[in-house]
Amino acid sequence: MESLGEKPWDVVICGTGLQQSLLALALSRSKKRVLHTDPNDYYGQHEAALTLQDAESFAAKYAASTSTSSSEGGEGEEKKQSVLRNATVWKPDDAEAQGLKFPRAYSLALAPQIIHTKSKLLSSLVSSRAYRQVEFLAVGSFFVYEPAKDGSVPKLSRIPSSREDVFSSQSIPARSKRSLMKFLKFVLDFESDDQKPLWEGQADAPLADFLTAQFKLDDDLKRYVVALTLALDGKVSVASGLAAINRHLTSIGMFGPGFCAVYPKWGGLSEIAQVACRAGAVGGGIYMLDTTATMKPSVDNEKVSLQLSNDDTVEANSLITGQETTVATKVISRLVAVVKSPLKPLFQVLVEGSPPPAVAVVAVSSAPSPIYALIHSSDTGECTVGQCVIYLTTLSTVNSKHELEQALSMLVNAVEGDESASPCLYQLYYEKAFGDKASTTENLGATPNLSFPPLSATLAFEDSDLEAVKAAWGLVLGDEADEETYLVFEDREGADAEDEVYE
Amino acid sequence: MASEDTIPVLKVLIIGPSGAGKSALLLRYCDDQFDPESSTATIGIDFKSKHLAVHGKAYRLNVFDTAGQERFRTLSTSYYRGAHGVILVYDISSRASFVGMEKWIDEAKQNAAPNAVLYLVGSKLDKVAGGGRAVTYEEGQAFAEANGALFCEVSAKTKENIKRPFVEVVDQIVQTPDLLVSPRSNNTALNIGTLGSDYSSACPC
Repeated sequence: MESLGEKPWDVVICGTGLQQSLLALALSRSKKRVLHTDPNDYYGQHEAALTLQDAESFAAKYAASTSTSSSEGGEGEEKKQSVLRNATVWKPDDAEAQGLKFPRAYSLALAPQIIHTKSKLLSSLVSSRAYRQVEFLAVGSFFVYEPAKDGSVPKLSRIPSSREDVFSSQSIPARSKRSLMKFLKFVLDFESDDQKPLWEGQADAPLADFLTAQFKLDDDLKRYVVALTLALDGKVSVASGLAAINRHLTSIGMFGPGFCAVYPKWGGLSEIAQVACRAGAVGGGIYMLDTTATMKPSVDNEKVSLQLSNDDTVEANSLITGQETTVATKVISRLVAVVKSPLKPLFQVLVEGSPPPAVAVVAVSSAPSPIYALIHSSDTGECTVGQCVIYLTTLSTVNSKHELEQALSMLVNAVEGDESASPCLYQLYYEKAFGDKASTTENLGATPNLSFPPLSATLAFEDSDLEAVKAAWGLVLGDEADEETYLVFEDREGADAEDEVYE
Repeated sequence: MASEDTIPVLKVLIIGPSGAGKSALLLRYCDDQFDPESSTATIGIDFKSKHLAVHGKAYRLNVFDTAGQERFRTLSTSYYRGAHGVILVYDISSRASFVGMEKWIDEAKQNAAPNAVLYLVGSKLDKVAGGGRAVTYEEGQAFAEANGALFCEVSAKTKENIKRPFVEVVDQIVQTPDLLVSPRSNNTALNIGTLGSDYSSACPC
């Protein structure tokens, strides 16, 4: 068998995160020789889906806290931190007795982002024919948590999010309906020349203030509208808030009635990464997991050599990596919880003809630091029937872990009335740092090295994260890069062979 | 004749160590091709499709190749999703490839649906004539039985038994009604390829 080190590789891709994997897919019909490695023994890296066993090694690997302590690091040198930190897992002592199943029955997504139906990620998967191997599920209702007031119990209110929805809503007073309808009409073409003057002057002002001043939305409606932006920053700006709500509204109905986004079954973006890697392998790419690639000191004008942990040494004409450390500008905290209840009320079909939703979104608390929960039913394949997986996210502060735990029990109580009937069976907590969004390119000797930044710290997939993939594709292909063919492929399978009959 | 849309699709995987003859088996069965010179890793084959009728009912059989991901044992969990059957191939002229079956069968059991049909195939039966057998028929059969798998030996070169694994896997699958109630039929999965208005005109598969 051909040894790995004989000829230089056109590209060595380190890491099987979403961006690296999409690059492998994009190169799968080229003649380029691709070596694709990952230090973990599973696919997906920062976008992986973890069994409980994987979650434990993940927590052990990223247990370290790397909060900035000033003294270290040279003067003027920016301090880089590990992207993942403070990871822990927890389960009650009698978790198994309470219903926790075997470790492989779970698939906890490190990237539980919802994907809007308008997203370029989906159109790229379709044009590249990779979508056939992924099962997409519908994202259903969006809710806001209503704390107890005037003796009432806490509850979740569903956000009416389309104009039809607002019309039929019983909970909104007629006058408020009119203002909300006016706003929804505006946001549908907020970028037109007619509407721009209304908001351009205050593009960076808080969206909430704009909603009061321009549309006289009351506090309830404002909370609804702001919740739909899915912004983790409590002061989402007019410009980015309007863009997010526009995306939400214009995505509804694109693939069928009643939903604006989809979610890949079995663990979110992990599944897309795996399918993309398979396409890379079908195209001749060589895959090695559980393999670290260490750069040998680079010499001017020579190609970079990588020492693989299996003792092979390989040469690369180009090198694509992912950023493992970053100068953090934003840190999120995430709590992933397996709960012993299907939380059925969150997954109702509300629009005739719409598919049963597998994901619900809840804004558990709003400003100053919003906490969002993405709730996945067992239809996602991430847990067993009768349970659900809840992903809670907030911007990181010293108390985040505690706040997320509180939000979890508030949420379960609001749906079930009594939390004790639906205990938490397992928890994974971690923090993830985000820096400058741009990918970085530098030369290592004669080898260009492009490094992907972590995916955006958002709850919905951001198309801007795809730009670096295309840049990397251009870097690897050089003059051969033809934009028209980027991720546009024919189906692979040949014509059917003749029929056969067996009796 | 049932239309293309309503024919049940069966997904069968071929796994096993590099060089065991997985692609040769697939290509001989689906395309009736055999290239004695080809020993390189398979490039460009995702899966092969074949229509067949069992007990008078039509099926479309999609047989998936490992795409070289067996070389460093990097088959993804997503590869196994929705597989109705798994054909495990070893080379009867290579002791090592038979010994390695233990790990492959474990992987298949861990990743495929619990009731997926397992089928063990000893390949390169033509090598027996030259005294090349390194694994007896009885050993293969005993291992298969111990793991709840069906078994036969084949030669892609001479075509001996070449259809048998596929026919028997399909036969076993269609006799396991639970398997055919695929997760897709619970109506939650979306087909983004056909629903998107301006995406593509691809056929639903």
